[in-house]
Amino acid sequence: MLEFENISKSFGPVRALNNINFNVAKGEIVGLVGENGAGKSTLMKILFGSYLADSGSIRIDGKSIQFASPRDAMANGIGMVFQEQSLIPNLTVMENLFLGREAEFTRFGIIDKSRMAASARYQLAKVRLDVDPLTVTSELSFPQRQLVELAKVLTLEEETEGDLVILLDEPTSVLSEEEVELLFDIVNKLRSRAAFIFVSHRLDEVVTLSDRIYVLKDGSIVDEVTRETAEIPMIQSKMVGREIDTEYYKQDLKKPFDETTSVLSLKDISLVGLLHHVSFDVHAGEVVCLVGTEGSGREAILRTVFGILMPSSGTLQYNDDPAIKIKSPYDAVAHNIGYMPRERKVEGIFMSMSVAENMTSSQMQRYSHYGLLKKQAEKEMADAWIDRLSIKTQSSHTDCSRLSGGNQQKVVLAKWRSSGAKLMMLDHPTRGLDIGAKQDVYEMIRNMAADGLGLVVVPDTFEEAIGLAHKVIVMKDGRVSEEFDCDQQDVRPLDLIAAMT
Amino acid sequence: MRDVLKSNFHWVTLFALVFIVGLVDRNFWNIASLLILIGDFVPLFIMALGLTFAIYIGGIDLSTQSMANMVTVIASLYLTSLGFLVVPLCILIGACLGGLSGFITTRFLVPSFISTLAIGGVCYSLAQWLSGNRALYMDSEKRNQLFGWLLDSTGIAPNALFVGAFVFALMLFIERNTLLGRQLKAVGSAELAAVASGIKVQQIKIMAFAISGGLAALAGVLFSIKLSGGAPSIANGFLLPAIVAVLVGGTPLTGGVGGVVNTLVGAMIVTVIRSSMLYLEVAATHQQMVFGLVLIAAIVFTIDRSKLTIVK
Repeated sequence: MLEFENISKSFGPVRALNNINFNVAKGEIVGLVGENGAGKSTLMKILFGSYLADSGSIRIDGKSIQFASPRDAMANGIGMVFQEQSLIPNLTVMENLFLGREAEFTRFGIIDKSRMAASARYQLAKVRLDVDPLTVTSELSFPQRQLVELAKVLTLEEETEGDLVILLDEPTSVLSEEEVELLFDIVNKLRSRAAFIFVSHRLDEVVTLSDRIYVLKDGSIVDEVTRETAEIPMIQSKMVGREIDTEYYKQDLKKPFDETTSVLSLKDISLVGLLHHVSFDVHAGEVVCLVGTEGSGREAILRTVFGILMPSSGTLQYNDDPAIKIKSPYDAVAHNIGYMPRERKVEGIFMSMSVAENMTSSQMQRYSHYGLLKKQAEKEMADAWIDRLSIKTQSSHTDCSRLSGGNQQKVVLAKWRSSGAKLMMLDHPTRGLDIGAKQDVYEMIRNMAADGLGLVVVPDTFEEAIGLAHKVIVMKDGRVSEEFDCDQQDVRPLDLIAAMT
Repeated sequence: MRDVLKSNFHWVTLFALVFIVGLVDRNFWNIASLLILIGDFVPLFIMALGLTFAIYIGGIDLSTQSMANMVTVIASLYLTSLGFLVVPLCILIGACLGGLSGFITTRFLVPSFISTLAIGGVCYSLAQWLSGNRALYMDSEKRNQLFGWLLDSTGIAPNALFVGAFVFALMLFIERNTLLGRQLKAVGSAELAAVASGIKVQQIKIMAFAISGGLAALAGVLFSIKLSGGAPSIANGFLLPAIVAVLVGGTPLTGGVGGVVNTLVGAMIVTVIRSSMLYLEVAATHQQMVFGLVLIAAIVFTIDRSKLTIVK
């Protein structure tokens, strides 16, 4: 009933989707799997009308169609259950269910609440959720809210003529086992009225629920398997590809590190709701990669080490010196800790400041004397680093907004290197960069390690983790699920995935 | 091209305005009267310079006008007893109250337009209380003895212009050449990045509001000397043109770019607009309306929409 033909989509120079052919039959549950950045969400957003495809066509029941907006998609029977829930917490359940459609329940401009409640009860029965429609949504548990979300999508049934196609975006990531079972049961029961597209990290669940599975990698569909032929290891290897052993990540370039000098030691660190009893060490010259799903605690660790978040229990020891206490980013910088945040444009770089100004932004005291800036010294330092890292910029006075993403990232790294950082927290340092720029960033990370810095990296991909790290720590639900010593054993992406799920 | 035009919009506006007004009003080119007009404008310009810092870091200071009002009262009351010392005293009071707005904003996360509005209310009440809610007159002998020079001219240039030029140069120096200036730029440019660079963002913001308050107070002192007196609402009508001068000069409400040079250009634009209103005999009661409209136009042209997702 729903067909995608040769759908492509690019964001600037980055090709997010490449000639995607994809179809869903009536009553079918189709799984969609792929790594972070493989293009799953782009594909979903095109289907839901949030993005327009650059080329290709979408057909529903043979009719060619293009959605200009989510509203448009919903009018054509496409619904989406969001990963980050879209319900408004301070509205009641029924207000959420009929948000934007209140007009159907009004008479002379006044909402007929009892009629709306009756209607809401009918909708909630579809997902077998027994709550009072007048409950304020924030009082429901997470799984209950998820069901309300599903019920909200199902209200489209009465609105549209044809069958529904419902997109489930990571619906199980925070559900317990029983809750997942209940959800699957409901989804299966709803097949007579709707087809589903199920997007998830959890391969075992995808295989259990889906009739057919598409495997997405680097913007292309690399495989399509049916339930009968689906095997998890095979899907996993298709997902991550086979490039790990190639030259690309240059594992052999890793240098041994100094095991006797600890630069960071986490002991039993907990942070309510985010981290539970996390312990590990980072040594001088060592690269530690943290992998895990979104919300597994990777970023929380970086932010805790940098003094943005405060641990509720446990100890953080820097440089083997119990006297060092870090209570703010200011303290962290003063103790030579650097942080490269994920959102480069908002947190990483000062767009309207020059390359030189960016480089000294974490060491202004050093480049000033009695409150006066030492601009000559600043310029000399910046020129030296522009040269050393081959940063492509007109001059050190050029605004960073004029630089490419890769060069901006080099500026951020130069800032921390020049300020003498001994410990670096890197959050997705290669995010959004093209292959060449990624290579440059890898090289800089290796050089920093070779110079004796300790690095904690949250990488973009498993290959990146394995290619860079001496040690990979797999996080799951705020805990360390497993540690891999890359020097001792040959770690494969599949091992990491297995530890994550 | 579009970028170049946009980032130099204030210059284009100034030259276009001067050209048009100069064509229509032949007297506009009488340099002596032009300088007097500009000299008249110095207190407002100084207020706008201070306000620039509050806007530069992405905030706003709505207390400047009430601050100046209050200071006219304080200056009139204490000139006789304190003499010249009344000037640093007023600036100090302004800086402290400005810093207090900044502290309230950063410590209790009250948006600056509210905290400064509230502090402005406090200033207004203090002014009423101190003055007994009536107009005060300075000891004219003392005023002429200490500040008479300010009302004189050197050649054809009113001496007030030199005060304006001095404060401008000082602020430009702070902005371009000091640690504080650089930190202010970082905070305005990307506050989160400033946090991640270990900058003490809260302190820097408080400093920005302190500068704004201090210069608003200086503006009040100059204004009261000019009028030889003070009253709790004597400087009303300053706020709007001061904000216009900053924004029309090209420092956007979102902060990070622009600065005191922009405010100089913006203040000149406001002066030209005012001069043309005098020429066209726009009644004083109508002038605020013109500034209101110019303010909206200035925001429409300078705002960086990429930084905004929601406007409330």
